[in-house]
Amino acid sequence: MLRLLRTEIVKTLRRPRTWIALGFVTLVPIIIAIAIKASPPTLEGGRGGPGGGRVYLVAATQSGLYMPIAALRIMSQFFLVVVICLFAGDAIASEAGWGNLRFLLTRPIARGRLLVAKLGVAALFGLIATLLVALAGLLVGGALFGFGNQTIPQLGVTQSTGALLGHLALSVLLITWGLSGVAAFGFMVSTMTDSSAGAIFGAVGLYLVTSILGAIDSIGSIRFGMPTYYLDSWSDLFRVGSMTDDMWRSIFAQVPYVIVFVGIAFWWFHRKDVTS
Amino acid sequence: MSETPVAVRGLTKHYGTVKAVNDLSFTVGAGQVCGLLGPNGAGKTTALRMLVGLAHPTAGNTQLFGTTVQPGCPELRRVGTMIEHASFVPHLTGIANLRYYWEAGGDRFEDADVDGSLAVAGLGDAINRKVKTYSQGMRQRLGIARSLLGRPELLVFDEPTNGLDPQEMRAVRALLRRVGDEGKTVLLSSHILSEIEQICTHAVVMDRGKLVATGTVAELIASGASAYIETDDAERSRAVLGAVPGVAGVRDESPGCVVELDGATRPQLVAALVAAGIGVQTVTSRHALEEAFLGLVGEETERHIGKGA
Repeated sequence: MLRLLRTEIVKTLRRPRTWIALGFVTLVPIIIAIAIKASPPTLEGGRGGPGGGRVYLVAATQSGLYMPIAALRIMSQFFLVVVICLFAGDAIASEAGWGNLRFLLTRPIARGRLLVAKLGVAALFGLIATLLVALAGLLVGGALFGFGNQTIPQLGVTQSTGALLGHLALSVLLITWGLSGVAAFGFMVSTMTDSSAGAIFGAVGLYLVTSILGAIDSIGSIRFGMPTYYLDSWSDLFRVGSMTDDMWRSIFAQVPYVIVFVGIAFWWFHRKDVTS
Repeated sequence: MSETPVAVRGLTKHYGTVKAVNDLSFTVGAGQVCGLLGPNGAGKTTALRMLVGLAHPTAGNTQLFGTTVQPGCPELRRVGTMIEHASFVPHLTGIANLRYYWEAGGDRFEDADVDGSLAVAGLGDAINRKVKTYSQGMRQRLGIARSLLGRPELLVFDEPTNGLDPQEMRAVRALLRRVGDEGKTVLLSSHILSEIEQICTHAVVMDRGKLVATGTVAELIASGASAYIETDDAERSRAVLGAVPGVAGVRDESPGCVVELDGATRPQLVAALVAAGIGVQTVTSRHALEEAFLGLVGEETERHIGKGA
């Protein structure tokens, strides 16, 4: 299994698309930091409430420690979703698209083991992408704004550097896991098609649809069951300073989606006739 | 080695109402180079996919070395395959593709027959280039090299010369003959009759998913019941050949004639001509398998049409 995992990691690492995606998630926080340095934002004229994303941009201009939070907040709305869906949707479909899947499966590899390895690698690179956003934000934030003032009145809570960094690490995990339901859908579609673009766009499409539905109050409590409804709750760590109920809901909301989508992926892939 | 490398029993595959493979049974013995012959759409590729666990049979089963095939079963370690055209991870080099293909099975690349496989492929320095820069012929050769990495006892190739230019086809056929000469068992599908005739010792003929005939290539050619002969006296030779026991008929095909065989052998025909004082210029098997194949498949088609009517 370790050899299989290693081969899958190396195949992903040597793929130009991987570097483009990881480069992109690294570059965007740098661009955001430069932009807010050049033109510092204010809370006026935007959604500046305690839960809004704008407050983290304002906070980032006062301490670079808040830059990764601002970057994560912006990136997790869409760009990071696309990148995580890319790794999930590519998993099997790209192999099938190259016509290499049928050769891989003529090795004595149980299909389940291959899927576990592919799923593990997709999860790993999804986590790396989220981590890169945080690290790039932290480095560029420190370089442009310093790591000084951590008392941000607009956030209503002051945290030590250690607590902030700890919460940042926890945020990376929460965001990645918060997108796991959508990514699992991309992974499932990836086992059913030879087109990785189809699987990626399918997952991104699910994210957009559930996000839109989640914003419609009139559909009632159904929206609370959407996989991405509580996605932004991780930022409570920097307003409240501890895990909130919404963060736990975000964690548990993924479980049924991951179980169902990954379960279907395994079932489908086991009974699939591999032709590509 | 006592186990039969390939045993196919009652193999059936339906796609909806389409019977891609229908109750197919045959075996390939150790050391045989067996051609799976049939027109396009005969079900050859589907049968080979089921043989190596890529597709699930609707009914029946396939066995490799006496063990029923399941996806990813351990017996696949003894088999080298190339199903349809050779495909690779395009952004990796040739050698990296071989390495990651091999290691995916849990084996150490150092234990694979890398040198032997690369010698067969003959790709030279190109092995260190990305596969996306390869020609189709180079990919096919790399595909054959990949299939040989595990020093397999059985090779399963599906139309290995498809899409190649004549020079590449010749190189791949020579390579396959060499593999066969080394004593490996080979199951090779093709719709190119001359290819089967050149490379194979045995053949299985399929049409519309069903077995039409099986045997040695020589037997199938004999069952095709034809020989083309040119002599220095065409008119007299037709009379002589027509009188040979086991000859069903002789027809003119200038400058020679085609003898339809019904038990007689080519040496018997030559002996009869020589005994009659007729000089034999050509006895060719140029179209032998083609005629046998068309005869076999044609009979099946006629039966099919007859049933339909």
